[in-house]
Amino acid sequence: MSLLKAEGLRAYYNSPIGQVKAVEDISLSVEEDDFIGIAGESGCGKSTLANVLMMNIRPPLKLYGGRLFLNGEEISDKSRDYVKEKFWGTVISIVPQAALNSLMPTKRTKEFIIDVVQAHKKISEKEIIEMAKNKFIELGLSPSVLDLYPHELSGGMRQRVIIVASTILNPKVLIADEPTSALDVSTQKQVLKMMLDLQRKQSIRSTILITHDIAIQRQVCNKLIVMYAGRIVEYGNVDDVLYNPKHPYTKGLINSVLTPEPEVRRRGLMALFIPGEPPNLVNPPPGCSFHPRCPFAMPRCKSETPGLTYSGDRAVACWLYIL
Amino acid sequence: MSREERKPLNPMLIYLLRRMCFLLATFFVFMIIIFSLPRMIPGNPLAILLRDILNRMTLQPETIKEIERKLFEQYGLDKPVYIQFVDFVSRIFKGDLGISFYFRIPVAEVIFSRIPWTLMLLVPSTIVSWIIGNFLGAIAAYKRGKATDNILMSIFLTLSQVPYYWLAMILLFIFAVRYEIFPLGGTWDTSRFITPSLTLEFITDYLAHYILPFASIVLSAIGGWAIGMRVMAIYELGSDYVVYSDSLGLKDSKILEYVFRNSILPQITGLALNFGSVVGGQLLTELVFNYRGMGRILYDSINKLDYPLIEGIFIILISTLLIANLIVDFIYAYLDPRVRTGYAEA
Amino acid sequence: MFKIKKFTFSISVLVVVILVALVGPPLYPKLNLSLYAGTPDTPPSNEFPLGTDRNGRDILSHLLIGIRTSLYVGVIATIIALTIGILVGSFAGFKGGVIDEILMMITNIIYTLPAILLMILIASYLKERSPLFVSIVIGVTSWPWLARAVRAQIMSLKEREFVQMSKMSGLKGYEIIFKDLLPNMASYIFMSVALLLSISMLAEAGLSMIGAGIDPSTESSLGVMLQRAQQGEAIRLGRWWCFVPPGIVLVLITTSLLMLSTSIDEYFNPRLRGGK
Repeated sequence: MSLLKAEGLRAYYNSPIGQVKAVEDISLSVEEDDFIGIAGESGCGKSTLANVLMMNIRPPLKLYGGRLFLNGEEISDKSRDYVKEKFWGTVISIVPQAALNSLMPTKRTKEFIIDVVQAHKKISEKEIIEMAKNKFIELGLSPSVLDLYPHELSGGMRQRVIIVASTILNPKVLIADEPTSALDVSTQKQVLKMMLDLQRKQSIRSTILITHDIAIQRQVCNKLIVMYAGRIVEYGNVDDVLYNPKHPYTKGLINSVLTPEPEVRRRGLMALFIPGEPPNLVNPPPGCSFHPRCPFAMPRCKSETPGLTYSGDRAVACWLYIL
Repeated sequence: MSREERKPLNPMLIYLLRRMCFLLATFFVFMIIIFSLPRMIPGNPLAILLRDILNRMTLQPETIKEIERKLFEQYGLDKPVYIQFVDFVSRIFKGDLGISFYFRIPVAEVIFSRIPWTLMLLVPSTIVSWIIGNFLGAIAAYKRGKATDNILMSIFLTLSQVPYYWLAMILLFIFAVRYEIFPLGGTWDTSRFITPSLTLEFITDYLAHYILPFASIVLSAIGGWAIGMRVMAIYELGSDYVVYSDSLGLKDSKILEYVFRNSILPQITGLALNFGSVVGGQLLTELVFNYRGMGRILYDSINKLDYPLIEGIFIILISTLLIANLIVDFIYAYLDPRVRTGYAEA
Repeated sequence: MFKIKKFTFSISVLVVVILVALVGPPLYPKLNLSLYAGTPDTPPSNEFPLGTDRNGRDILSHLLIGIRTSLYVGVIATIIALTIGILVGSFAGFKGGVIDEILMMITNIIYTLPAILLMILIASYLKERSPLFVSIVIGVTSWPWLARAVRAQIMSLKEREFVQMSKMSGLKGYEIIFKDLLPNMASYIFMSVALLLSISMLAEAGLSMIGAGIDPSTESSLGVMLQRAQQGEAIRLGRWWCFVPPGIVLVLITTSLLMLSTSIDEYFNPRLRGGK
């Protein structure tokens, strides 16, 4: 049984200028021990998807179709309050984007963690602090951080505290939205190591890592999903996708990353960047949303939207691979 | 080890010291203003003062000379300006606020016979309006955009613009003239009690005279607090930490507690910032109700150009304001951990 | 939508008030500003729609003139406070450094001393109590909060690209301030004008009530009318027509100004509209 399973999710923002189709026909499944990366440019709908996967949907965002199953139970037809009470923090958690201001500024770390735990379980403060201390030590953090306020911590420290707070109740699925973007390289490594440790120790059972940084995903993920204009355009095992990219967008994405491997560079058939602009999600291009920027575009691409075609563990949404 | 212990204390002390220096500087500037104003009246200030006095009473020539000499002394006009200023400041600090022209007794006596009554009205009304106003503002923020919010906001908006004294007039008219529920003003029934006393009868009588001015001030002040709190709370409700705490399953009540805690801090400094307008409003309200506080003597002193009294009143008012500012700074520093660790700017 | 209704409501009220102030006095046939225009203390009647006060003044006539005077004070004081506030704030914010420190020190000191109290203090020494002088006193004590706000905005705006470009093309300080920075703050300046008008008018009324405002023997303003009512014991004697009309007009004007200011703010700051 999948921990998290999405079928054809559709979620749009209702704005005065039109409907922003941020999540369009997304299907995926997350199994135990998965460390799935979701890659794509900014504005392709990744962060919206992160929230939708938790059913954290608030106006002007609205769910327009599809189903979502968490731990076997369908949550796409339940109210936000129900899902929040039953699942958030305990079964599924999110590490938000721009996490640096996400900690309550006038509460010490330990006080905040106490609040988080006590929102779900009746455990005494003393026990919670013990639990938190042990967790911190386990993950290589100094327990003295517990007594500090958020503004007394560095950016990287705050990020790690947030990860602990999000995982203290051992949720099955952890969604991390751009956890490393605002950090320097060495802090990035610490954060990633922490997330790997958590999964290895089975404090969390699966992770979804959302980032535009493919290099990181190559290091830690086992599966990779590539998103474009709110849709999944490619999917598969991470090495498979990165060394044998099928979708033209994926190829362009990989080539625009400076990697030391000459092998990848050699295979690149496109320029070192993808020309053109990210698509307008209110009025996406007809047919395949990528066709205006695709060097392999065929007449068919301009009028018909390709669906995901599967071959084994791989899936691509591109007319090049469909007969 | 001792270095570590000293660290958390210092930034707070530094912050408070900075604030104290600033407030002292402000006080100093104020002293300069008070000192210079009478000397900036065109013409020989003494002649004008004399003329005003003479307009009010007819005096023997010897008395006139005596007054002239006393005024000369009081204002020290024979000495250079900076010495005059130093004398002035040291006089103030010794508590000598001069002699009232009109009442002919020391200004300090006049003022201090009225201050307790003003305080009795000021402190409870400020606290009550602050509490109710902030509470209502938080509710309006929580229900922002919906009907409750719009109705509350319209009420707050209008209330905050109604002058304290006009509301006083309306209330007095309705509840004391039209419907004779409350007395027509004054502080206590002078036909029954000559001086205040701690008897039950006096206290009930005083309360009857107290309710209308109290209600008037509270109603006038609520609007301002509510609007301020609503803005702060709405801002906080959109913060990252609210979104994140919510996503971890924290209950709405807990999140509201967070928001309230963070929104209340500026409202505390607001107490000191609004002191001036609250006091001003109250003084005028006292005037309308003929309440035995500072309002009436301020009006009289301005009317009769009793400069020592005017100056004395303002010195007391401003000194209280500055001390109130300092107290509020202490409280704020204690409550906001960011200040304690030197994060926030003053 | 509620906010648009608020805006139109407040604008219409203000337009009406301004019209009344401008054409009211000339148009009102029975305009009579003298003492003992009629029998004192008469309630509203056909002859005097708003009655007469203790000295026989026609309330309606004085109200019409009073609106004019109060508006006049409001406008002059606003112009003064606006000018000082914008100048001080933008120069402090733009130049930074020592100039900023000094200007902010001065601003903060005046800011800490409550404007109303300062006003009363200064005004009580004035020999001449004309509306103009009162406006000046109000204007000169009401600018600090504006200067601080302007400074904050300027400081955040000046790092933006278009400002850097102007700097590099050699424009001088004040040119940049006036051409680049201030137009970007237009919405905030509009709001401030509305707020200042409201504050100034209320200040004038307060000053007049305490006897430090406009000289009641020569001019009428809304505040003066209230003061006359208070001194003439109009409230206690039940003569509501002496203090209710001027108060209502004052509240109407200042509330509309505040509503206007809030609706401008909500338009440019959608967060305050709610529903996030």
